[in-house]
Amino acid sequence: MHQLTSLKWILGFYTALFIVFLYGPFLVMGIISFQQGPEGGPQFPIIEWSTFWYKHVMGFAPPSRVAPLPVGEALFRSLTLAFATMIVSTVLGTMTAQAFRTQFKGSGFVFYLVVLGMMVPGILLGLGMALVSDQLGIARTWWGTTFVLHVVYTFPFAFLVMLAIFNRFDSSVEEASWTLGVSPARTFRKVTFPMIFPGVLSAMLFAFTLSYDEFPRTLFTAAGDVTMPIAIYGTFSVEIHPNLFAFGVLTTLFSLALLTVYAILMAMSVRRSQARSSGIQEEIA
Amino acid sequence: MSNTAITEQAPINSATRGNQHGLLRGKRHYLLLAPGVFWMLVFLVLPLLMMVYVSFWTQSTFAVSPDLTIKSWVAFFSSDTYFGALIRTLRIWLTVLALTLVIGYPTALFIGQFVRNKNTQTVLLVTCVVPFWTSFLIRVLAWRPMLGKEGAINILLQKFGITSQPIEVLLFTELSVVIGMVQIYVVFMVGPIAFMLARIDESLIEAARDLGASAWTIFRKIILPLSMPGVVVGAIFVSVMVLGEFATASALSGRKVNLLGNIILTQVGSLKWAFAAVIGVVLTVVMAIVITGLLRVVNLRREL
Repeated sequence: MHQLTSLKWILGFYTALFIVFLYGPFLVMGIISFQQGPEGGPQFPIIEWSTFWYKHVMGFAPPSRVAPLPVGEALFRSLTLAFATMIVSTVLGTMTAQAFRTQFKGSGFVFYLVVLGMMVPGILLGLGMALVSDQLGIARTWWGTTFVLHVVYTFPFAFLVMLAIFNRFDSSVEEASWTLGVSPARTFRKVTFPMIFPGVLSAMLFAFTLSYDEFPRTLFTAAGDVTMPIAIYGTFSVEIHPNLFAFGVLTTLFSLALLTVYAILMAMSVRRSQARSSGIQEEIA
Repeated sequence: MSNTAITEQAPINSATRGNQHGLLRGKRHYLLLAPGVFWMLVFLVLPLLMMVYVSFWTQSTFAVSPDLTIKSWVAFFSSDTYFGALIRTLRIWLTVLALTLVIGYPTALFIGQFVRNKNTQTVLLVTCVVPFWTSFLIRVLAWRPMLGKEGAINILLQKFGITSQPIEVLLFTELSVVIGMVQIYVVFMVGPIAFMLARIDESLIEAARDLGASAWTIFRKIILPLSMPGVVVGAIFVSVMVLGEFATASALSGRKVNLLGNIILTQVGSLKWAFAAVIGVVLTVVMAIVITGLLRVVNLRREL
């Protein structure tokens, strides 16, 4: 027993180090985003603390040799794309997982076909799609060719999440509803959906995050219209400036806000279902 | 019709449910499956087949024509640059895979086995995932001020007198690419392993301990085998992402380390479609071998 407690402390300490390793660059990013501008570069030491690069990202800074990030348009495209991808992937994922609740012929094929979507590296899919549209003469657009690839990428995640949810799902409730003569569509709306809602929320979160940050698939298929990751990638070839890090800090805060909304929705959904089930139990008693 | 069917079968348990309204149920199935399958066939399988097809086309300076040839294939395997990139990709992939496993496993072990409180477990896992809400590319770029000659690590090392000279191999080398990739992908290893470890029935371990098994034996005979599905899933995630990488390599190596992905990118940039397709097919084959190999170890569908 004594041996195990010391092991626990060692592993705990190791985990702390591990988290420092994960957050290290993050911390550096935060510090350097306050570098003096516009002369200060993305390195140590900090010449003078300033919020110049934040103003630069927001477009308030006086014009300088550092080109502003195309925040407005690119961010709009990224968010629209992520939103559309989220809706389509979650619907497809839920439908397919629903079909998987009963045995059917060819389920293995469908399973691997769907999972293939997350297995194939983005660069290959992007290349393939670029070739197809090139040969068929289809214009490459962020809302067309890019969008369908984003769904190919995120739909498997939604599918797997929903599959895991349905596996732990007590179907006797649904059966009771059918036995009472409620139509399948209504049963899904009134019984199944509220029960799987936490899963749907996770699937949506997955799809949105993955699409929002997606990059290799977009690179090959969006032609001239940049999304946010492409805009950032564009700065690779030129010099990088601390405005990227300021932007990183801002988007992280935005994402954390989104995550908080998700957590609140999740907690509410859990509480509601608990309240409901305890209410039912009281009625029975 | 459905009413009579239900009243007849209602007392019988759910085992017969599958046959309840046989025909209708079967059709509903296909309706549910059709959109997803269609989407994947058209937007996933078709592009991949196209890539294989184009790899046999004839490449002229700025265009491809559909006259079948194996010229591009011969060019790939006879060129030291391209074959070298394949070897380099495989080497970096294996290094990153091994490192993510070695670095990630103890953390997963701590979260999955030693933290018994479900809430603390969730908090720790979420802490690991939070950096993912920062753009992947910005996280990669943040390594530059860390590793550079006047970067954070060199400053710290010199301040504490561990080194007297700045270490220069830290940035713009293969090492920096490996460091960057390990940090970005290690969480994909930690997550699945911790998930599997947390599912282990505690009474199993207690029983083993009561029977006098040492901590090491318990680890080797119970914990390790039961965590294998997690290791495999993590390894698949990491492999898929590292093999298709190019951004980390170009950001942290100053374009000195060229992976297969980087070469695809430059080939497409100079409109060498056929050649890019060849490299794409090579990458696909490597990936297929790796994934089927890993899936041999564990049945993914059963473990979900």
